[in-house]
Amino acid sequence: MSIAAEPTREQTRARYPDEQGYVERDGVRVFWERYGEGPTAVLLFPTSPISHSRLWKAQIPYLARRHRVLTFDPRGNGRSDRPADGAAYGYWEYVEDGRAVLAAAGVDRAILVGLCDGGGWALMLASRYPETALGVVALAPCLPYLTPPHPNYTRFPFAEPLDTDEGWAKYNLHYWRRDFRSFLEFFFSQQIPEPHSTKQIEDCVDWGLETDPETLALADEEAPLPWGSTAEAEALCKAVSCPVLVVHGELDACQTRERAEAVAALTGGTLVGLEGAGHLPQARHPVKVNLLIRDFVESLERRTP
Amino acid sequence: MSLLEAQREQTRARYPDSEGYVARDGVRVFYEVYGDGEPTVFLLPTWSIIHSRHWKMQIPYLARHFRVLTFDGRGNGKADRPSGIGAYTEYEFAADSLAVMDATGTKTAVVVGLSCGTLWGTLLAANHPDRVLGGVFIGPAVPLAPGHPERYVHSFDDRLDTDDGWAKYNRHYWLEHYVEFLEYFFGKIFSEPHSTKQIEDCVGWGLEIATETLIDAHEALELCGLEQFRDVCDRVRCPVLVIHGDEDALHPLARGAALAEATGGRFVTLEGSGHCPHVRDPVKVNLLIRDFVESLGRSAA
Repeated sequence: MSIAAEPTREQTRARYPDEQGYVERDGVRVFWERYGEGPTAVLLFPTSPISHSRLWKAQIPYLARRHRVLTFDPRGNGRSDRPADGAAYGYWEYVEDGRAVLAAAGVDRAILVGLCDGGGWALMLASRYPETALGVVALAPCLPYLTPPHPNYTRFPFAEPLDTDEGWAKYNLHYWRRDFRSFLEFFFSQQIPEPHSTKQIEDCVDWGLETDPETLALADEEAPLPWGSTAEAEALCKAVSCPVLVVHGELDACQTRERAEAVAALTGGTLVGLEGAGHLPQARHPVKVNLLIRDFVESLERRTP
Repeated sequence: MSLLEAQREQTRARYPDSEGYVARDGVRVFYEVYGDGEPTVFLLPTWSIIHSRHWKMQIPYLARHFRVLTFDGRGNGKADRPSGIGAYTEYEFAADSLAVMDATGTKTAVVVGLSCGTLWGTLLAANHPDRVLGGVFIGPAVPLAPGHPERYVHSFDDRLDTDDGWAKYNRHYWLEHYVEFLEYFFGKIFSEPHSTKQIEDCVGWGLEIATETLIDAHEALELCGLEQFRDVCDRVRCPVLVIHGDEDALHPLARGAALAEATGGRFVTLEGSGHCPHVRDPVKVNLLIRDFVESLGRSAA
């Protein structure tokens, strides 16, 4: 197993991985970790490379007490490679990275957990590979075209120079290039609107700074979308046959409640709304989210003796 | 934040098993008892700018191992608010503490005090050695060493032509800008990053006391002189643990070190901590308190 250089300034962890390694697909290396030995595997998908697997730091130590927890850094951040080609950041690439991680860890079936893009990838994996997915927990799931995007993303064009830096005008390639840190600070203060979140915002900004504007633009804005219509997004959801839990914070500034409702309705899943929560409930309301995941996992364990 | 909001209490991790009032000379203080282990850990009040909820990170943990006793000191929380400087001296707080021990059938206890709480904690230990098993003093506000010079630039009583920094520690500023003072003061106390919640809590508790009452309580503590306090320290015979953050902006480390020396106690410095490490680094402080309390049991056995 080859280990890359340690990330520049990683904090201490409540729990360290029991196993770690890389999977490689088409020359792109993706770094994964395993925590715990339990009989049920839980794969925590990363999300957009604006962040990496430490996003789950408040879940890993808890879930790993009883389950085999797998995480990986998304291509574009953490210890994974940063390919220079937009096509390498397609949605299905992350899905296949997740499958490769399962294979490397010797796991046939897992409960798939994801946030935002990662929630979409978990659903996509479950849809295309039903034999692999025991269940899906999708926090603030993102599936393009399923519903209109959150209005925050359509206020300003991404690639054109703007004559303002105010608010969501910061979600702009030229601003990213000028002041990536300020963009990250703005972005995460919007995504974590709960009071007393300075630590969570600081963490997310630091993880964001482990990638760069060009990589993030490739991944978030130039990568090919997996489909081009609402009907296709709906068909994907309908093809998910495993149990699904959707969690959505009422103050989410990234994914709409409408989208979460659509995912729950089309997959036959359950929707849990979190009052006072933003886009990152697993970071800011970890006990609630951990218990939701635990209860979901245990309900599935009871089903499959 | 309105006063009403501040008074709406948050939910607690653990609720008291019993509670009640003790009156002395017509002034009632409010006590709470949690758990039934041995020995009793007595979490003392501090300056009346806050009340017993500042121990909220200690109570649930310590109550698993020991019996925990705490009370709202005169001036805040559910205690009465007598007026006049004389009602807020360290002697009154020490006498209230003893009355709370008596009322709750607490023969002996380990006393734990924060900041000014050290003044009555040491008084209890010095004057009632048969009742105090040990003392833990956090960020002690004791006159054994000079304070931070920046805190002594401005007069408390005079009307100032500035409200920069510690100039806010001023009677007139308090009377006219009390909330701003509280925010400044607790901002200095919580020098650690990511302390917005702790500051908000303390500002809320600070709004439960009237400014005039806080002025009385402030002036009473100013009366505590070096000579009399040295004498108190000399008479403390029980084991002592002093905990002090090395970034304490209210009381310099030298004060904690001097208290440990004067009482023959152990001195623990917490790197990066401010004036209230028990609030901001509760796990560290809880373990220190627990280890100290358990060490007393071992030496007795």
